[in-house]
Formats: sequence, C-alpha cells, structure tokens
Amino acid sequence: MSTGNDLNCFFNPRSVAIIGATSKKGKVGRVILENFIKRFKGRIYPVNPKYSEVLGLKCFPIVKDIPDPVDLVIIVVPAPIVPTVLKDAGEKGVKAAIIISGGFRETGTEEGKRLEEEIRKIGIEYGIRIIGPNCLGIYDNWSGVDTFFLPDEKMRRPPRGYISFISQSGAFASALLDWMAYNNIGISRAISYGNKIDVDDVDLIEFLGKDEKTKIIVMYIEAIKDGRGKLFIENVRKVVKNKPVIVFKAGKTARGSKAAASHTAALAGNYDIYRAAFRQAGIVEATSFDEIMDFAKVLLTQPLLRGNRVFIVTDAGGIGVMLTDALTKEGFEIPVTPPDLKEELRKVLPPHCIVENPIDLTGDADDDRYRTVLEKLLPKPYVDAVVVGALPQIPGMTFKIVDYLSELKDKYGKPMLVIDIGSEEAVKFKVELENRGIPVYESPERAARALRALYLYSIYRKKVG
Amino acid sequence: MGPKQIITNAFKEGRTKLLEHEAIEIVKYYGAPVAEARLAKTPEEAAIIADEIGYPVVLKVVSPDISHKSDVGGVIIGLHNREQVVNAARRIFDNVAKNAPSARVTGLLVQKQAEKGLEVIVGGLRDSVFGPVVMFGLGGIFVEVLKDVSFRVAPITEDDAIEMMCEIKAAKILEGFRNIPPVDKKSLAKVIIAASKLLEENPEIDSLDLNPVIAYPTGAVVVDARVILKK
Repeated sequence: MSTGNDLNCFFNPRSVAIIGATSKKGKVGRVILENFIKRFKGRIYPVNPKYSEVLGLKCFPIVKDIPDPVDLVIIVVPAPIVPTVLKDAGEKGVKAAIIISGGFRETGTEEGKRLEEEIRKIGIEYGIRIIGPNCLGIYDNWSGVDTFFLPDEKMRRPPRGYISFISQSGAFASALLDWMAYNNIGISRAISYGNKIDVDDVDLIEFLGKDEKTKIIVMYIEAIKDGRGKLFIENVRKVVKNKPVIVFKAGKTARGSKAAASHTAALAGNYDIYRAAFRQAGIVEATSFDEIMDFAKVLLTQPLLRGNRVFIVTDAGGIGVMLTDALTKEGFEIPVTPPDLKEELRKVLPPHCIVENPIDLTGDADDDRYRTVLEKLLPKPYVDAVVVGALPQIPGMTFKIVDYLSELKDKYGKPMLVIDIGSEEAVKFKVELENRGIPVYESPERAARALRALYLYSIYRKKVG
Repeated sequence: MGPKQIITNAFKEGRTKLLEHEAIEIVKYYGAPVAEARLAKTPEEAAIIADEIGYPVVLKVVSPDISHKSDVGGVIIGLHNREQVVNAARRIFDNVAKNAPSARVTGLLVQKQAEKGLEVIVGGLRDSVFGPVVMFGLGGIFVEVLKDVSFRVAPITEDDAIEMMCEIKAAKILEGFRNIPPVDKKSLAKVIIAASKLLEENPEIDSLDLNPVIAYPTGAVVVDARVILKK
C-alpha cells in the first residue's frame, strides 16, 4: 500500500484520460466519456487504438501519445489488458488511476487474483494511487469527475450539496444517489472503491475530513481491510472533531469462529467488534437504510444539542403523545412546562389550547400561533430542542410556517425537527422546509431516532472538546 | 518470571496454552489484582506455600492434559490449615492417578480462596482488522445464555473500561441490587486494562479469558485465567 495521502488528483484533476473510450452506444466507455463532456471543466483525452476521434474529441492510441500531462486515468478496458495500459500510464507519469473494469479477485479465479496482484505491483512500482478495480469510482459534484457508468436517464444526479458518501458497494452507491436526486438532497462527493487494492475507507476518510466541500461523511462498509482498523479509528477520531461521520455496516450476522479456543473468541461476533470500534471513534451508526438519510439530514442542518430536554409543539394531540413515547424511549426528557411559562403561554393562547408539554395548539391553530408559542419557548434555558408537529390537514396551516420556522431556527440556534404526515400537500411542506434546513420526518419514531443521533454526536463533541 | 520468559517456556514445551499459575502470574504482571497462586510439586511444598499466602486455600491439579479438573477429583476447596492441605494434596494425586492415569501432572496449584462476590468475566482476543480487543461481561448465565458482553478495541483508558461496564444490559447490577452490594469499578477497570496491555505487548498471545473475576465493594480478584497462545 502506498503511503502519503494526496488524493486530490482523483477529485480535482486538471486533465483526464479515459482508456477504453468509445462511441458505441450502451458501452461503459461511452457513458463515462459523455459524463465528462457534460460536466467536467478540465481537459479530456479519449484513449483507444481503434479510433482517431470519439464524440468529437481527438482520440489517442495509448496514453503516452498524449502530448500534455495527465492527472488522472480512468480505465474501462477488459481485465487482461489493464496491466499494460496501467504501465503505460505509469511511464507517462500519471499518479492516479480509477480502474472501473471487473474480472479480478472478485471472480474467485486464480487468473483474477493474479491480475489483481499484478496491477497492485504496477501501482507501487510507478507510484500510482489506484481506486478499484471493479468499482463505480467517483461522482464529484464540484469538479465534474463522474465515472459512474450509469446514464443520466437511469441514475439521476443529485444537486450539489455537502454530504459525501463512501461506499463499498457500487450498486448501493448508485441507488442512493438516484434516491437523493429524487428527494432533492445534495451530494458533494461519492466514492465506490470496489476491491480497494490501494485507496480504501481509511484514506478516503482522511481526505474528506480535510475537504471543505464536505460537511458530513456517510459510509457504507462491509469490511475494513485486515490490519487497517486502528488507523481507521484514528483517522475518524480526527475528522469527527469537525464533522459527523455516519456509518452503515452491512454483514452484521457473520459470527466469530465457533471452534474458538477461548470463551471470549467464541462470543465476539465480527459486528460486535465493529460496533465497539465505531463507538470509540465517535461514529454515529445508522442501523437501517432509513436511518442513513434520517441521520444525515439532521446532522447536516442542526446545531449541536446542549442537553436532552425536548419540548413538543403540535396541532394534533395524538402526535404529541406519540412523540412523547418515542422521545422518552430514546432517552430524552420531556419536561413539565414550568409555571411561569405556563402563565406566559396562557396569556397569548386561546383557553382551549394545552400549555403542558406537549404543547397542543389544537386543530384551529394557524401559522401565527406556532410562531407566538415558539418565540416564548425557544429562548428558555431549559429548552434544548423543539419538535414541531405540523400536520398540514388543518385549515389554518399555510406556507408562511416555513418562513417562521426557518427564522426562529436561525434566531435561537437550537435544533428543530418537524413531523409532517400526509399526501401531496404534506410533501410540499416537507420539500419547502427541508430546502430551508429544517429536517422533516414522517413518523415520530424516526424523528426521535434522528434526534438521538444528534444527541450522541453532541455528547461526543463535548467530550473531545 | 516475566511474561516473555513464561511464553518462551510454554512454546519450548510445545504448549499453546499457559498453565494456570503462569496465566495468573502474567495477568498480575500487567497490574490486575489476582488471587495469589503458586505451583507446588509435592504435598509438603503445597503446605509451605499455603502458609505463606494465607488460609483458606484451594488446591487444583495442574496438567496440560486435563481441562475439566473437577471431573477427575482434581479440585479441593476450603482448606484452613497445613494438615488439611497435605491431606487434600495427597487425595488429589491419588484421584488423578486413578481417574486420569495417562495425564501428565505438572503439580498442584495452591491458590488463596477468594471470598464470595459478584462474578464477572474479562476477556481479550486478536481481531484481524482491529488488532487486540477486550471484552467485559457478568459471569454465569449472563454470559452463557444472554451473551451480555461489551467490547473495546485496545489500548483502552480507565474511562473506556468504565464505559464498557455501563454498556452491558445488566449494568444496573454493578450498581448494587437488593442483597448484591455495588462493585468497585475502578478495580475492575484495572483488570480490563491489564487484559488490553497483555495483548498489546505480547503478539504471541491469541486470546484470554479471566473467568471468573470476583468483584467486591472494594477491590476485585482474578481467580481463573486462561491464556491461549498463537499456534
């Protein structure tokens, strides 16, 4: 494995060569070239001995024929040819390669293993950092590097944002990106590293930790490379002082060896050890697909929690009760409204409203009633976070609430989550609120889990200073 | 004998497991409180050791070939004086000769008998990804049936060790419950930290169980230690 960690050539190259570029429809070499033509601002060099021109760009037979320096090569040729083209790139002085091609160790064949070992050695010999093989590579929303060989109409590209995503699974990465695009959630950089013969999670965490375009890192991990666990913990620890890291670990059910010589070895499931490591590193662990994005949106948009006391403001009593149960289960306190605040609230609310926590503004509430109450509530020192139940079915609810809530969130700097359940109208509210940095959840339980994730991260940050 | 020498000796003798007194010795070396234990070759020697470490004591046969000592009559507890120790030692040698005639007998372990307390287990193993890992749990059914244990990647601090204790589902029992007094977490932390150091500093060690460790309102002792070496 190469040392040093300048992965910048992968994400911000000035020039790229696409080895195996073609104009043949449906081919990976064409999709990637099209992606680059569409979004990449640097120089693009198609490489393929069969053509002199591809999609209007001059095509070179081999990388060494390109007259200018090349920062990054993207390799999509069949596995047996990869060593040759990689060597060419090395002789040209290229320092970064993304190998999309499959047909290596993952095939389980001797030949696949041998080829993989060969390219690993070439990488070390020429000092080329390698992502892959057998991967989707990089989708970078800022530089336009996009080696995800799935056409736009099959996988929509999400808008620019600040969530970066590292995935061991290519399919999961592309599905999540497509889903994020559909839900209008922004992405910064996404990496699928496949067989990770060189660049792995540990290197990528370090790079994204220093990246100013990344405010939160989400990872899908199946397994960390042998012997890299300690460095993984060390690198994550540095990163989480500034930005949260959310990890989803797949492959939870693999157990330790049953024939283990000691009791301890028999008890230690692989996942138990990962969980312990995540905890020690300050990682927020997502345990389901839903949680990945539920956690990401609250951690991306909300300030840290100073304590665990939550007030609930709702237009529906039922949601208030559900929230109380869900939040209590996650370890939050739902304090009784103190007498002085009760007095203040009674003065400004109609007599049928309930000023106990959950504060129930009832079905005749309107946006102004929310604002009035939240203005009283948010400045109080005993309020650490507010969950707003804003069911849009009541007649008094309009889009003014979006402005109100976002103003209040900025003014008081306390976490604010919204519960919003319903059909098209509810979805409209959700989109508007989330565009303004207020995370919206469809169920009290999911909101409570998300707030818990924010709380755990807040505690960790406090601990490490 | 230091840890390195104990391990070297074991390898020389072709063993992949330390003998009880070696295991206790090595755990003690890394700062864990242990129930004092020494090896005696004869009943008379056992009595001398018992006098030195103080009564009551327990005698256990030490043999690389016997893993279930009680089954062959190889354990006698509650010995309060010289005479009892000498008699018990003879009985153990007889029992073993009769019930496990082909077993090699290294000698007898003379160990200070620990008072009753809360039994916990501390363990350690080497993970291919994370390296040394330590484990904590309550003994008995908690670990056997419920697998109620917590883990940390080594090295660990005292805070980590205390967090591990708070993390198990039965954590409240450590705080004291009805007739169970609260335990001394700082003493238990010393045991977990010892397990962590032992693995960090001796790459030849593959895994270990300290089971049971008995925890008291003040203090804790490692009563039984099993240390497995890499093959």
